Amino acid sequence: MADIQKRLSELAAAVDNPKERLEYYLGQGKKVVGCFPAYTPEELVHASGMIPMGLWGAQTEWKEVKRYLPAFACPIMQSNLELGLRGAYKGLSAVIIPTLCDTFRCVSQDWRFAVEDIPMIPVTHPQNNANEGSTDFLVSEYESVLNKLSVITGMRMTDAALEETIEIYNEHSRLMQEFAQTANDHLDVITPAIRHIVMKSAQFYEKAEHSEIMKDIIEELKNMPKHNFTGKKVILSGITAEPTEILDILAEYKIAVVGDDLVQESHQYRVLIPEKGGSAVRRLALQWKNRKGCSLVHEDFKSRGEMLVELAKANEAAGAVYCQMKFCDPEEYDYPICARTLRAAGIQVLQLDIDQQKGSFEQARTRIQTFAEML
Amino acid sequence: MYTLGIDIGSTSSDAVVMRDGRDIIAASVVSLGAGTIGPQLAYEKVLKEAKITAEDIGGAVATGYGRKTCDYAAKDLSELTCHAKGIHFLIPTARTVIDIGGQDAKVLQIGAQGQLMNFAMNDKCAAGTGRFLEVMAKVLNVKIEDMGSLSMKAKEPVSISNTCTVFAESEVISQLSSKKDIADIAAGIHRSVAKRVAGMAMRVGKQPDVAMSGGVALNAGIVKALEEELNTSILVHPYCQLAGAIGAAMAAWEDIREEGKG
Ligand code: SF4
Repeated sequence: MADIQKRLSELAAAVDNPKERLEYYLGQGKKVVGCFPAYTPEELVHASGMIPMGLWGAQTEWKEVKRYLPAFACPIMQSNLELGLRGAYKGLSAVIIPTLCDTFRCVSQDWRFAVEDIPMIPVTHPQNNANEGSTDFLVSEYESVLNKLSVITGMRMTDAALEETIEIYNEHSRLMQEFAQTANDHLDVITPAIRHIVMKSAQFYEKAEHSEIMKDIIEELKNMPKHNFTGKKVILSGITAEPTEILDILAEYKIAVVGDDLVQESHQYRVLIPEKGGSAVRRLALQWKNRKGCSLVHEDFKSRGEMLVELAKANEAAGAVYCQMKFCDPEEYDYPICARTLRAAGIQVLQLDIDQQKGSFEQARTRIQTFAEML
Repeated sequence: MYTLGIDIGSTSSDAVVMRDGRDIIAASVVSLGAGTIGPQLAYEKVLKEAKITAEDIGGAVATGYGRKTCDYAAKDLSELTCHAKGIHFLIPTARTVIDIGGQDAKVLQIGAQGQLMNFAMNDKCAAGTGRFLEVMAKVLNVKIEDMGSLSMKAKEPVSISNTCTVFAESEVISQLSSKKDIADIAAGIHRSVAKRVAGMAMRVGKQPDVAMSGGVALNAGIVKALEEELNTSILVHPYCQLAGAIGAAMAAWEDIREEGKG
């Protein structure tokens, strides 16, 4: 128990202060590349001998960014660009920005002109991943990312290095999946906030390093007697479920999180890079082809609602909290489909506004308390 | 057995004493909300009216914005749960409930047993709330309780296009300075609130019967504007303002029964 707490505190410290993690790696003489959400090919950074670090917004006041983004841009992009403009990301060798929605597209161009000291590497995912040419297209995108990364490192990533990285990433994803399942037998220790911290923390670690921590946590959990949780169980869906104050309110009303469909959390780990399929870069591109059930992936018939029902049923969740990132169009479009499918399956749904900022949580509290009383 | 429900809102405190979760014995409404002496006054008044003392109360539940601040209540419940329960008690056929509170507006969908099925709430914005009406009444120099009857005299309601309270306020001022009839302006204000709340009701799904709860339901102008906007009739019970407190008193009774004390 003592050990698991120590490990969990390490992860909490990393999530609380990512800057310290950045400095730690810089201190080791490593180069660090910032990865905007989501599905950024951080494996290419890793295989190039650098540390990829996730940039998923922050609780910060928006001042400088107002010159570039309208008030109705999502909080993640507001914060990322604000921090970039303020020089808070000093030390990063580059940032990679995917272009998965309109806001991303604006931000990538804003960054190019406004944050001159940190080069921006764009990457475009073929959102219609069922299309035949999509993998060829993504391979060419990844090649162009590699060209830009090689300018930073002064050398070209090898196929063998990427093969090795893929193994590290797949092992890490398997461990994260195992953690999510194991955690459900220990909902007394793995509260909603702690679950979130663990799932998010991987962004600030070299993945093999994070895997070692995860092995300890999983082992410790398995050694503990199973906990008989008598509260209510829910799943979370959305881009992120932050800040932790919201998760603490869930815990206050005896609600546990037993599964998630958050882009920041399980989406990072739920699709492995295929073992076969050609060169290492091509295999990485094929991972994208296997993604579905996400607002950022085009599907003629959206499968996200059914996937949520499955996730809820498999984990005995009575409800789903749709964490609606403020001003996120792709997520707004998916909500009615998901809510209808979940409700038809007898699963209660709560749509909760996520704006990532600190402030008053009274409205959120009333919503969550009402939801708890409905479950 | 007597149970007590208290609804501590942002602008008023309502208390109800019920017998066996069935009969309303006494009720009090004080126009002072959370953080004032309002809740205490409402509590004392309702006990006095019921001719009982605190010792006679078998259980109490608090609800509303200030629900966490009530030390004699065994537990607190969200105002949405309590309004659903309370309205089901008053109007058993209601399936959609619109509650315009002091600082928020809610639409509830309730099941045949009065259980809450779905809800929508406006977020961090005064438009479509009681506060919006208060601000506008002040600009018109009309008592808030007179807004309803005033608006009923309207011949040509003006259009208030801004949903933002601050901008709507200047719009109302400019309507006043262009000598528009005050009754027409009041009706325009009610329409603006109704539009905002109706949008929310459409999202939840307006299943009949539609009812209104909360103090704003006593404003006939709002009810009429909402009826027009939703194209349906709206049921209003004379005790609509007490729905939250009634729901809380009923919940207190249910808890006692579950514990086997009742
Ligand atoms: S997908 Fe949503 S959260 Fe992500 S950048 Fe676009 S608007 Fe923001």
